[in-house]
Amino acid sequence: MENTTILSLRGITKYYPGVVALNDVSLEFRRGEVHALIGENGAGKSTLIKIISGAIKPDKGLLEINGKQYNSFDPFHAKQNGIEAVYQEFNLVDSLSVAENICFGENNGFLVDFKKMYEKARKIFEEMQVDIDVKAKVRDLSTAQQQLVEIAKSISRNAKILIMDEPSAPLSVSEVRKMFEIVRNLKKNGVTIIYISHRLDELFEISDRVSVLRDGQYIKTLETSRTNPKELISLMVGRELTESFPQKRGTIGATALELKNVCGNGLKDISFTLRKGEILGIAGLVGAGRTELARLIFGADKLISGSVLINGKPVRIHLPVDAINLGIGLIPEDRKRQGCFLEKDVSWNISISNLRSLLKWKTVVDKNKEKSLAEDFYDRLNIKTPTLMQKVKNLSGGNQQKVVLAKTLATNSDIIIFDEPTRGIDVGSKQEIYHLIRDLADQGKAILMISSEMAELIGLSDRILVMYSGRITGEITKEEFSQDRILELASGLN
Amino acid sequence: MKNGLIKTVINKYAIIFVLFGLVLLFSLLSPYFFTLQNLTNVFVQQSYVIIATIGLSFVMISGGMDLSIGYQMSLVGVVTAILMKNIGLPVPLSILLGLLLGVALGLTNGLAAITLKVHPLIVTLGTMTVYQGISYIASNQSVILNLPPSYKAIGQGYIGGIIPISVILMIIVSIVASFILSKTSFGRYVYALGSNEEAAHLGGINVNKIKLIIFAINGLFAAIASMILFARTGSAASSTGPGTEFSAMTSAVLGGISFKGGEGKVWGIIVGVLILGVLGNGMQLVGLNTYAQFIVKGLVLLAAVGFDTYQKASAQKASIKESTN
Ligand SMILES: Nc1ncnc2c1ncn2[C@@H]1O[C@H](COP(=O)(O)OP(=O)(O)OP(=O)(O)O)[C@@H](O)[C@H]1O
Ligand SMILES: [Mg+2]
Repeated sequence: MENTTILSLRGITKYYPGVVALNDVSLEFRRGEVHALIGENGAGKSTLIKIISGAIKPDKGLLEINGKQYNSFDPFHAKQNGIEAVYQEFNLVDSLSVAENICFGENNGFLVDFKKMYEKARKIFEEMQVDIDVKAKVRDLSTAQQQLVEIAKSISRNAKILIMDEPSAPLSVSEVRKMFEIVRNLKKNGVTIIYISHRLDELFEISDRVSVLRDGQYIKTLETSRTNPKELISLMVGRELTESFPQKRGTIGATALELKNVCGNGLKDISFTLRKGEILGIAGLVGAGRTELARLIFGADKLISGSVLINGKPVRIHLPVDAINLGIGLIPEDRKRQGCFLEKDVSWNISISNLRSLLKWKTVVDKNKEKSLAEDFYDRLNIKTPTLMQKVKNLSGGNQQKVVLAKTLATNSDIIIFDEPTRGIDVGSKQEIYHLIRDLADQGKAILMISSEMAELIGLSDRILVMYSGRITGEITKEEFSQDRILELASGLN
Repeated sequence: MKNGLIKTVINKYAIIFVLFGLVLLFSLLSPYFFTLQNLTNVFVQQSYVIIATIGLSFVMISGGMDLSIGYQMSLVGVVTAILMKNIGLPVPLSILLGLLLGVALGLTNGLAAITLKVHPLIVTLGTMTVYQGISYIASNQSVILNLPPSYKAIGQGYIGGIIPISVILMIIVSIVASFILSKTSFGRYVYALGSNEEAAHLGGINVNKIKLIIFAINGLFAAIASMILFARTGSAASSTGPGTEFSAMTSAVLGGISFKGGEGKVWGIIVGVLILGVLGNGMQLVGLNTYAQFIVKGLVLLAAVGFDTYQKASAQKASIKESTN
């Protein structure tokens, strides 16, 4: 029972214009195992699972499930075989309720039985131990809550193989724990879980085996208990890479941003200062108000009372454009909705917030300047794309995130707010981004960094503020940094 | 590889081939069709539609819609005629005031859409009816005859005896609009709004301001279209203009402006209008009656939209095959 193969892939190959997304990949998945899939951004992980779930068809290769062979799956077929997927990009209908989304597409009758639907959704949430209003519209939920709904949706279908593509990316520590609880339960019931994540600590906690992809090639499958992060990283990247955080070289200067008793958007009485050359981390659970704080400073939501000072001068920020003019930049948390223009190409995306500096005769966009700006960031962030004219929707998730980073960094702001800057970004690129953020600080920029990743917060911040339920519950200085201290403050325990 | 390239060219410029195909077809069916006289006619007839459609495209590319352009044209035309004939203002001044009125009507639409926070489709459904009412009250439901010759020249005159003034206006408007949309930062913002309004807002684009300017441009272009149409008719009635919104919408969709926004080019719009224009003119010459023409035009639209969807779905497959070879 333990070692029976439930699904195997043989020689799967998939081409896109200018890229070989998967090259002759063969893999086996066993019943009741948690099988992690890792690799750098653009390695082909999402492509592989889309082939398994029938969303796309391979150009070559075979899929074998329950002893039968197929050239490809279609979504209906995959579902029939008990394959369910939580994709990297959400597949929820914004305007429908949570319960409707969970039960989407499974109405057997002519009329919708709302009572039954709500009941079902509530029961699943109960099992998952999460607290979400089943009648709420999906568009009113936070990114993390939407992710939990996605997971609930897949569980409700009694999957035999559950694919999860970076499910933890929008979640914070405590929700990740809940999710692991769910995964372990499913595993006990014999469900196979294919788990994609860039967070190595997670896969050591949850997975039985791990397979590595690099540049569309299958590299190796290992027993998780017999390997270590260092080995995995070198398999993924193809060279040695030590995980480390850059040292601070600059000095901390005058106050760049100050908030005094700020209220609004669910925030209560927020006061803090951020100084030039400093990286100020913001910790907290989902719903603590971290993103709300970022949006409020940036003028995307309304400030009700209190004041904001930049370089000691009170300012009024009504719109994001005011914030940008005052030298504030924001990298938003949801790249697909708030960050990028999926239908436009890479260089268009990088330049859109920065057109004013790319103009000739004050009106016309200078194509040469635009190109050199885009090329600059393409090199600096190591964006993987065949050309800069590629539509952003054709990039892998992590590379889309890099485009969003580039777009904001191009505005050359003095105060930069990062809301989950490395969401979906691979280990190697993470290091590059940490260095980039540290370099910005060393150049005298003031950095506010919201993150749900403990290691990142502790490793990169000079100081950490912890939020809980719309308030700042504590400030921790570098000497006192510890995961326990942060979690204690984040759960509002004192 | 080469095969694939030819395929993408055909896909991208499909509507141009459709236009050439129609021209060829009607040239075979009617000896009069492919004459300088008739082709000039088509351009003169369609010049105002092209201008109105380009204005509407600004709105559509930004993700909006304007149903009211027909009645904007009606109201602008009637008011301009009143200023010239009943009040006796000089023609250039009347035209200037008429154009300003167009801008004002466009701004009204924009303001309403922004403050009511409703989709412009609904907003302009409302303003359309308002503009209609005002136009009929202003004209007192009667026709203002014998507009001044210097005004009529806009729609009927020729420069150097061969090139129609209306066509020249159309060319100027097309070049200016194409320049704005494809070269300027403002143009980028128009596409940005239609692609992802939330990202545009957070990316530091003053969304409301851009929307207002877009509606103002649309109003101005509708007013220019109105001048040409009324000048060609030679008289002013409130019933002139309405209906243009549907020709414009149809042509825009034919020309590759998607209802979702974020996409479209000026050359596509011109080809879109000309396809409908050539169809209308050709069918007239062949002797099909007006109602049969409606049916054909409707079917052409459906075919175009269907082809577009099909092509987008198969584009991916095509390019995969291409890289396998
Ligand atoms: N629809 C598409 N059109 C063109 N290229 C594509 C398309 N989808 C994926 N690709 C390319 O295929 C490669 C693999 O992408 P994939 O999304 O599988 O990467 P990934 O391993 O999931 O990366 P990430 O960790 O960033 O999510 C990338 O180079 C990507 O640009
Ligand atoms: Mg991916």
